[in-house]
Amino acid sequence: MSIEVLKEPSVIEGKPTFVEIDEQISSPIDKSPNIKYLIALGITSTMLLIGVISIGATFFYGIGLWGNNNPVGWAFDIINFVFWVGIGHAGTLISAILFLFRQKWRTGIARFAEGMTIFAVMTAALFPLIHVGRPWLAGYLFPYPNQHHLWVNFTSPLLWDVFAVSTYFTVSFVFWYIGLIPDFATLRDRAKSGVKKVIYSILSLGWRFSNRHWHNYEMIYLILAGFATPLVLSVHTIVSFDFAVSIMPGWHTTIFPPYFVAGAVFSGFAMVQNVLIIIRKIFNFEHIITLDTLEKMNKIMLATGSMVGYAYGMEFFIAWYSGSQFESFVFINRAFGPYAWAYWIMVSCNVVFPQLFWFKKIRRNIPIMFVIAVLVNVGMWFERFVIIVTSLAHDFMPSSWAYYKPTLVDFGILIGSSGLFFTLLLLFIKAMPVISIAEVKAVLDGAQPHHHTHNGGRNGK
Amino acid sequence: MIAINYQRKELPSKLMKIGVLLLGLGFILALLGYAIDHERAAFNGVILLMFVMSVGLGSLFLIGLEYLVGADWSVPFRRIMEILAIVVFAVPVFSLPLFANLHSLFHWTHIEDVLKDPILKNKIPYLNEMFFSIRSTAAFVLMFLFWWLLAGRSFGQDYAPTGNFRKVTIRISALFMPIFAIVLTFMAVDWLMSLEPHWFSTIFGVYYFAGTFSVALAVITLFAIYLNENGYLGEGIGGDHYYNFGALLFAFTNFWAYIAFSQFLLIWYANLPEETFWYLHRWEGSWAVISVGIIIIHFIVPYAVLLPQPAKSDPKRLKFIAWWLVFAHFYDLYWLVMPTYSASGAVFGWMELYPVLIALGTILILFYTFAKNKNLLPIGDPKLPKGINFHL
Amino acid sequence: MENKIIYGVTGIFDTPDEIISAAKQVKSSGFERFDVHSPYPIHGMPKAMRLGASPLGYFALVFGLTGAFAAFALMTYLMGYDYPLIISGKPFIPIPAFIPVTFEVTVLLASVGTVLAMLFLLFKLPNNSHPLHDTDYMKKVSSNKFGVCIEAKDEKFNEAEVIEFLKSIGAKDIEVIYYDNEALNFKVNIFEWMFVAFLVVSALVVSGATYIVLNKLMFAPPFNWMMEQHRLDAQVESKFFGKGNFSMRVAPAGTVSRNSNQFKFSGQPELADAKLINPLIPTEENLRKGMKKYDIYCSPCHGYYGIGDARLNGQFPNPPSLHSEKVRNWGDGHIFYVITEGQNSMPSYSSQLTNEEKWAIVLYVRALQRAMNAKEEDVK
Repeated sequence: MSIEVLKEPSVIEGKPTFVEIDEQISSPIDKSPNIKYLIALGITSTMLLIGVISIGATFFYGIGLWGNNNPVGWAFDIINFVFWVGIGHAGTLISAILFLFRQKWRTGIARFAEGMTIFAVMTAALFPLIHVGRPWLAGYLFPYPNQHHLWVNFTSPLLWDVFAVSTYFTVSFVFWYIGLIPDFATLRDRAKSGVKKVIYSILSLGWRFSNRHWHNYEMIYLILAGFATPLVLSVHTIVSFDFAVSIMPGWHTTIFPPYFVAGAVFSGFAMVQNVLIIIRKIFNFEHIITLDTLEKMNKIMLATGSMVGYAYGMEFFIAWYSGSQFESFVFINRAFGPYAWAYWIMVSCNVVFPQLFWFKKIRRNIPIMFVIAVLVNVGMWFERFVIIVTSLAHDFMPSSWAYYKPTLVDFGILIGSSGLFFTLLLLFIKAMPVISIAEVKAVLDGAQPHHHTHNGGRNGK
Repeated sequence: MIAINYQRKELPSKLMKIGVLLLGLGFILALLGYAIDHERAAFNGVILLMFVMSVGLGSLFLIGLEYLVGADWSVPFRRIMEILAIVVFAVPVFSLPLFANLHSLFHWTHIEDVLKDPILKNKIPYLNEMFFSIRSTAAFVLMFLFWWLLAGRSFGQDYAPTGNFRKVTIRISALFMPIFAIVLTFMAVDWLMSLEPHWFSTIFGVYYFAGTFSVALAVITLFAIYLNENGYLGEGIGGDHYYNFGALLFAFTNFWAYIAFSQFLLIWYANLPEETFWYLHRWEGSWAVISVGIIIIHFIVPYAVLLPQPAKSDPKRLKFIAWWLVFAHFYDLYWLVMPTYSASGAVFGWMELYPVLIALGTILILFYTFAKNKNLLPIGDPKLPKGINFHL
Repeated sequence: MENKIIYGVTGIFDTPDEIISAAKQVKSSGFERFDVHSPYPIHGMPKAMRLGASPLGYFALVFGLTGAFAAFALMTYLMGYDYPLIISGKPFIPIPAFIPVTFEVTVLLASVGTVLAMLFLLFKLPNNSHPLHDTDYMKKVSSNKFGVCIEAKDEKFNEAEVIEFLKSIGAKDIEVIYYDNEALNFKVNIFEWMFVAFLVVSALVVSGATYIVLNKLMFAPPFNWMMEQHRLDAQVESKFFGKGNFSMRVAPAGTVSRNSNQFKFSGQPELADAKLINPLIPTEENLRKGMKKYDIYCSPCHGYYGIGDARLNGQFPNPPSLHSEKVRNWGDGHIFYVITEGQNSMPSYSSQLTNEEKWAIVLYVRALQRAMNAKEEDVK
């Protein structure tokens, strides 16, 4: 066994110094935007504008502008909601769960991923808001004493969503912000212009890098990671409850909670991987967001994609085993009915293509992994489409069946949601450090003191 | 070979003595049980079968997982997992009395009733004795095969290491994972879910997996800590290893509770009679007490005990909770299986002790016997020094 | 130069190993009021500085349990006592359904509460006027160096001794830090004109915005609460039917009011008996019609033969037989009256039968009565 096998690759390649880390990570913030950035921002802003117009029209004229009909009362609105919430899950998984598993390779990508979570959740939260028809009455979703003497229905999963998504957003935001405090302080101390200094001073709350504070800081990080983990699992579980607590065939099945969570991580990692590949190229972060990191992300995609495949198999088997003709019909209808085209896109993108990640060559090939991740995102969007639309379009009574067709406004809102997400991301890149300066410094080779093997409990002590 | 400070110590023969005592007592109770009330004994036999399967298959899974994710910290006690996994060979033995009693156990074997019931009639292609036996046999064969591929091959590496062992085993682990998922799911569906053949739940395989992971890890934790404290693991494993045991046991206690609650909430909420009856059976008479008990025993107590940070690396607490989780898994299986036998209320007598006695006795005997003349550390593994010196 | 109050003395180190050993030495020399600064947390530093365990875990536990209890109690009160509603047949306090919200509120309160407690209580942040801000020391330790700061408030502090001590343990760039007198002397003046102006402006903006939203915006589409609806109002001129036309239309010619076909003999069975005559002749066709309608509407209670042995036996009070002397002596009009008005437990069948159908039934009943009391010559 040669020594190379034993040595773990460094988390950060190239042995940069602390000052170099400061400079490299701050450089997108320090430099003014170049033409490529402005073009990108222009594109995403246009997409966002399309969304704003579509949503504005929806507010003014009503949900009739959408393709929703009877029985397909939920369509693009909820598909997009579930899709974007799912995208957010990768961020928390990288930040919190990989932290709990002490996986140092998360360091280069955690901040960016958390940012993506927050923006994804913001985008997702739009949909429950706009799909109610009169969003300005959204205050009624919260339990406050009112003159109707009415309370919200705490037993409804739609309300659980309100609590889950707001909690998820708040805790993710707090987690992200806590991570940013030391970096804002570093930027404050590097700031040349007075305005920037004031802004960073306020944002950093006056952080002083005191180890008395770091000691508690590490504890809060662990506590937040410890809470964020069950929280992220609970959020997509509660989203899955929106469907699973019903009696609709194809919706009411007990495996939905872990299946949705696995699917969320799957699509989230695909989106994160795509964005990171672009970012590391543009900003020269290849030695921080290394190929090893990308390979590990692909492995996670493979694992969660396989879990999704397992769930497909189980649903299919039990649909037959249960003896319920409605349940069996739904699955046959998905594969061979009017929406078969959507079903087969879903299966090929989610189950077939990700299996290519078994091969190391493919896991380490950037153009191919980029394409596979795009396909995964497409496939996962279609999975929500298939689940929601096929079950609603062809439910118990053939006399109630109808075909759903989205309208241009539906597509406009979908484009707008992507526009919002990517615009926020681009703004984030220019305004804040996308990689955690303090965490990266802490995992550089030689950053921690050499401690002799401490024997906490060896041989029975 | 890496120079590790390891002297092989043979396990004390009292382990064997205790094992034989437990197995002997359990065996007598089982014999008496089958003689007096073979139906009740058979149901207890299902608990025994599924418990031992959990421990054996679960250990194989943990071994495969270690290779796939490239974990270092678990390398020192991987040998313990490999030896423990030998119990998969006992699984077919425990299935034999059950195959002789299929008619007492499974309503779907009563062909006349099945033919009258349209729902059961629909399941005949799957729920028939021939296919059932084929499935179980295939599962056992796969378990044996993967024991050899994942665990058995590693013993030779101690003195004659091959350069590409790890690479090959990683590939085997990758192949094992989907097979494990299918085998575990269908064994759970066949032996546990089909006890009430009208019922179905897509998450059932995952539920059994959650229990399997917990109990396999608990048994491994117990062996690892006892052996470590008595100097059987050379330089030994330390507080950081213990912390990982504690953290994983805590995490999977939460996972079990999450899966159990999801299954329950969805069925309770939709209130469909074709699904709720399974839970209503577990609310009949004293079963209600048992059902509330499982929440406390399998979730609340382990959660509260393992929640504090220092508790996760405290060997005393870990041993207590590991034993607790072993019994919690028996309790879980009892709650899954016995309501089919005694619908009006829980029955607990001397007969219900035999699965515990036989399982624990078998594990001790097989572990002791198979560990003879073998190293308890995988000394041929180049990752071993890193694993021993693992720090958080 | 005014008198500067000393805050402390700082020293810089280059490597993590050096700072760990420096920390240990500072602590073992008896200093209590000191701190170590580094760009990132150093493993083993809390132990070297002999800091106690962080109390944040307890905060999280307390906040979490409070959140759990509060959420569960709130839902139980609101849905169980304040305004109970039967939803999907579930109990008023459906414990499994309360779990998700309870869980979320637990996590929310535990996380946010602990963070705020840490920032405001433990760290006493935000604080941008600490003496260490804007010093060269801070610029170094926030980037790539490690530092120790021994505060003047410490009992063993003596400026010269501390500088010597730091030199002896290998510190570089030793700097004496002073308080910023301006920051120290800063007094909060509640009547500062900028603050007052800010209050006034925000009051104006908020009240103006509230007024506009509640009194103007709420009445503009699409927010006007569905007050203006494109529907047809009865007393209003209708756009749909053209100018000068109301949405409420005039009934077309020949319309008969619903209650216009009142039964003339309502409440007067004897009169009906006397005055009403069956207009139908007992032809086979009419009898068959009567039989069909009788079997549908009358047989559930009266039975197929009028005996009263109906299939609703026991669930509804059985009617007396139609072959009794009393009924046989009734006129056709009386039977028609009973079908139209109902009597005792029998409801009116006017909404189910036309008058013609009722007369056909009367014919059939007569036929049944004759059949029940048949004489020799009927058979011939």
